[in-house]
Amino acid sequence: MKSSHVIDASDLFIHDQEKAWITSAQQGNQQAFHQLYLTHHKRIYALCWRMLADKDSAEDVCQEVFVQLWLNIKKFREESKFSTWLHSIATNVVLSHLRKQKNWLQRVFSIEDQTIQESTVEMEELPELDKHIMRLPERARLVFVLFAVEGYRHQEIAKMLGMAVGSSKSQYHRARELLKEWVSDE
Amino acid sequence: MNKQNSEQLLAAQLSDLPKELTPKRDLWLGIEKGIHNKTQLEVSNKAKNQYVPLSWAASVVFAVLLTWGVISPQQADSPAELVVEMQQNFEQQKQAMLVTYGQPKLADLPESLKKQLEDLASARKSIENALLEDPANNDLLNILRWTQAQELELLTKLFSPQWQSI
Repeated sequence: MKSSHVIDASDLFIHDQEKAWITSAQQGNQQAFHQLYLTHHKRIYALCWRMLADKDSAEDVCQEVFVQLWLNIKKFREESKFSTWLHSIATNVVLSHLRKQKNWLQRVFSIEDQTIQESTVEMEELPELDKHIMRLPERARLVFVLFAVEGYRHQEIAKMLGMAVGSSKSQYHRARELLKEWVSDE
Repeated sequence: MNKQNSEQLLAAQLSDLPKELTPKRDLWLGIEKGIHNKTQLEVSNKAKNQYVPLSWAASVVFAVLLTWGVISPQQADSPAELVVEMQQNFEQQKQAMLVTYGQPKLADLPESLKKQLEDLASARKSIENALLEDPANNDLLNILRWTQAQELELLTKLFSPQWQSI
């Protein structure tokens, strides 16, 4: 009982601390914004790397996420948790980056990327499941990360990725089947 | 390995998946730079958006004042007072315009433009002096109005585009 009170108090302190940083950052305090960066950048980087499956792009996009956060932080109204709001910004920035990268052939003919990527040296440090996630074909990977890791619903994912809800579900199923096969082969 | 096992294995690995990954390089420096660049861009866009309507407003006010000056010069009590009033109005408009354009230094202008401004100002002063002798001379009054308008127009041309190109 006592320890749960301690945890509650500590959570409360972190929440209050973060709230103070957000308010200061909204008033243009870059040091407070740096504290927010320090608190959240590793999770945002993980999201970027998993979705992009490329370390260098993930670093660049993660930086862009925080630049966008700085430009938009005044819009945060505490209607949701700050981390949830930040993750939605990050997801949008990643998807927008991917859209820009798509070549015109894919855009015009909607050719889906079927390629299963080879693991690279950069991936060696990652947990086994991450290595497998990054080998998934792009759409399956995006759906899997958004649904299973980030906790979005298929309706939300379908809207974000511009696909039918059924497609989101089937891509998720496809990702799971591939992952199950790969984890079994380890 | 059967289907159930692989399902369990995947679920276990998924629940163990780290929420955080650490980037190899320090991303903050790039973020600071990006913030600086985008903030500068936003400020300049805001300034652009702010001063374009302001320039329009200044032009409209100027046109209204000019029209008012042209159609109702007889409102002043005497021709001499009218000349003084015209001088005051002109100075007010000129100062307001210079404030709008951020108090630019006229001395920093290229020689040719500085000379144009000086010529117009000198012509205006000569006309004002002539009007002191003959305040009821309508031709001189019209020339003064025209000269004042030319001077204000030249100031607008010289300084207005600088704001818009920030």
